[in-house]
Amino acid sequence: MVNLEDLKKEAKAVLEEGKVKYIIGYEKSANGLMPVPGFIKSPEEVEKLIWTPACVYNLTKFLVDEKRRKSREKKPDERPVGLVVKGCDSRALIVLLQEKFINRDDVFIIGVSCEETGVIDEKKFLKKLKGKKAEKIEFDEKDNFMVTTQEGKVKVAASEVLAERCLECKANSPLIYDVILGEKVKRSMDNPFQSLEKLESLSEEERWKFWKEQLSKCIRCYACRSVCPMCYCDECVADTINFAVTADTTAEEKAQKIKWLEKSPVKSENFVYHLVRAIHLAGRCIDCGECERVCPLDIPIRFLNKKLEKDAKELFDYEAGFDPEQASLVSSFKDEDPEDFIR
Amino acid sequence: MEKVLDKKSFPQWVTKLSSYKVYAPVQEDEAWNYEVITNPEKVNLDFPNTVLSPKKIIFPQREVYLEFSSSDEDGLELKEVLPEEEPSVIFGVRPCDARALALTDKVFSGDFEDIYYWKRRNQVALVGLACSVPPSPNCFCLSVDGSPFSTEGLDILMSDLDSKYFVEVFSKKGEQLINAAKTLFKPATEKDKKELEKNRTEAKKRISRQIQNIKKIPPVLKGMFDSPFWDEESMSCLRCGICTYLCPTCHCFDINDEVLSSSPLKGRRIRTWDNCQFPDFTMHSSGHNPRPDKASRLRQRIMHKFQYFVDRYKNYQCTGCGRCISRCPVGIDIIEVLDKVSSYEG
Amino acid sequence: MAEVFEPKIVAFLCKWCSSAGSDLAGVSRMEYPPNVVPIQVMCSGSVSPLYILSAFNKGADGVLVSGCHPGDCHYIKGNFYARRRIALVKRLLEFIGLEPQRFQMSWVSAAEGTKYTQIIKDFVQELKPLGPQTKLRRDL
Repeated sequence: MVNLEDLKKEAKAVLEEGKVKYIIGYEKSANGLMPVPGFIKSPEEVEKLIWTPACVYNLTKFLVDEKRRKSREKKPDERPVGLVVKGCDSRALIVLLQEKFINRDDVFIIGVSCEETGVIDEKKFLKKLKGKKAEKIEFDEKDNFMVTTQEGKVKVAASEVLAERCLECKANSPLIYDVILGEKVKRSMDNPFQSLEKLESLSEEERWKFWKEQLSKCIRCYACRSVCPMCYCDECVADTINFAVTADTTAEEKAQKIKWLEKSPVKSENFVYHLVRAIHLAGRCIDCGECERVCPLDIPIRFLNKKLEKDAKELFDYEAGFDPEQASLVSSFKDEDPEDFIR
Repeated sequence: MEKVLDKKSFPQWVTKLSSYKVYAPVQEDEAWNYEVITNPEKVNLDFPNTVLSPKKIIFPQREVYLEFSSSDEDGLELKEVLPEEEPSVIFGVRPCDARALALTDKVFSGDFEDIYYWKRRNQVALVGLACSVPPSPNCFCLSVDGSPFSTEGLDILMSDLDSKYFVEVFSKKGEQLINAAKTLFKPATEKDKKELEKNRTEAKKRISRQIQNIKKIPPVLKGMFDSPFWDEESMSCLRCGICTYLCPTCHCFDINDEVLSSSPLKGRRIRTWDNCQFPDFTMHSSGHNPRPDKASRLRQRIMHKFQYFVDRYKNYQCTGCGRCISRCPVGIDIIEVLDKVSSYEG
Repeated sequence: MAEVFEPKIVAFLCKWCSSAGSDLAGVSRMEYPPNVVPIQVMCSGSVSPLYILSAFNKGADGVLVSGCHPGDCHYIKGNFYARRRIALVKRLLEFIGLEPQRFQMSWVSAAEGTKYTQIIKDFVQELKPLGPQTKLRRDL
């Protein structure tokens, strides 16, 4: 099990040595069970760090923010940023390194292993508690979590409250790190794409009905895009009024700008946005599940990305986020790539 | 007018309102939202707060202003598109959401009356549901001059008294709704009123969250425009836009043209919701962006709600529904930010 | 007389092979259905998924992407990239419930005018019973 005191010790050491600018980790929230992202700037502040099964966030996204902030500063601090990563988050880091968006020495990685379990799905967890308020949740031995409510402590089986993606976890321990806490435990994983099975077994019309209903709900708040570490483009193709305009952009360039989809949150435009996003993430999405977690309308958009992840594996034997040296999925090819669908 | 309605008779009342378009909270998957009711028997007022406030019915996320078309002979033709005439009723409006509409009313009136907003607003009757239990763990209506049984903006307020609803009517529109099913309502007795009082005293006590010293905040904010406080607080913000889209008081909009065909020219001018947390909200066509970073946008959100709006309309532009706190992906808590502001010493 | 549904096909044809192939069909006066809106692109590898989604959004009943045979690409490798990307787009569109017959890819060389006409004839025949494409068409 990961010892929180060890985590704090490592963080404190690296801050005291002045090795990093600040550390991004999980901090206790003043309101509720779920933590908040914490930005630890001094060795004394490491006391705020926590590590619980509620540490769901993928903190890799803040590296994108850090890069933007640095680009605005005249004399930026060139020291790396410390980052607490889980196994899935480390795969996001590997993709960012593979795409050369960040350099390896821009980040100091403090890895924590999820070992046998993982992190919770907040909605599943609240349902399981049936209205009781949880004050604390901790990792327990084997596959349980220890939950503290006002009525005392109760053991909860992890499998009942784990996030969907944890049930299909491919990397329960960080694959890349400067410091690692917790043990590398081999986890049995029988069915890597089990969450997709139900959807794939539906008929074409049933699948259409499902996606039509779900994507009609979308209000285009773009939270899914904002939370995804891989959506780091300054100018998103899908957001037609968000373009990188400078004083030098000519009127002609602005007039020629193609509007791929309208701003209206109607079904047809929502489809274009979500499908384009899924395709742009093909071979890059590592299934951190954040997009689905943040959606205010609870749209299961993770399935779109999961489907392409499965196809990438089946058709091209490609898996994102394991090797920072591999080529990207869509700008590489193999002679054996299937072409049975081509006339 | 004070009446009492048996809970069992409630579906019958809804059935009698067939000449209106009836909206009520409906559960889909895990989330509740206001939808048009096709089956009056199914109206269920036992719900936590909805994801989107009823603002979207009066101020929809997309509406058409006008249609334009052009042909060689006739030149450019513009056709105004006004909202359809359809008297509507929204059941289950929480007092915070109704107060929010009352605040938005101020913005869309005054020197320039927004006819699209008012056409819809005038034909909707709002039937509120008082909150005996806070619908969200993050409710704080009491801190912002609201209450779980506020009547501002409502035509009718229903309060849950176990086996019956206490029904208060404040407007002609409300009276018309009652008259559609007069026989179902009984006059309220002294015993009912006493029960209501007790219920309300308990309801107030159940609201657990509050902003400390809210009166201090507007003047303190005035001096905080250039403070590095906003950099600190916005570090974890993802500029996702959820807080603004879910907020019942937010009302900024954008106007776009949707061209359906270019030759012959045919299209529409539409209004959609816009979001001050989006990076390009203040992007000028010259390329300059006065709010280029998250700090300035968070500052804008807080100052608009708790200083600019107070200066202009003498009200906080927040009714304490707690949606922004519950759904923020990184747990940015407006109450915490405001508490830090009120104790800020710059 | 009842109106027969005529499907509208948007075809992205690579300039060096497929578009030339369609020109050959024209010059040789080969008959084939007039349902195609041809769009010439420099290479099948330059066809972005946005073009395909945009075509469906604007009401296309079918979309065809056609390029040079593997090994013959004017830009050496463009069509290999296309082979990968179109496979992913095709699978995704099927997953969300779009009829798989509506989106197709082919290899047509500059000499294969006959093959091109056959592809279009077959495509129109397959689309006719499906009716107009309403699922992804813009509903503004």
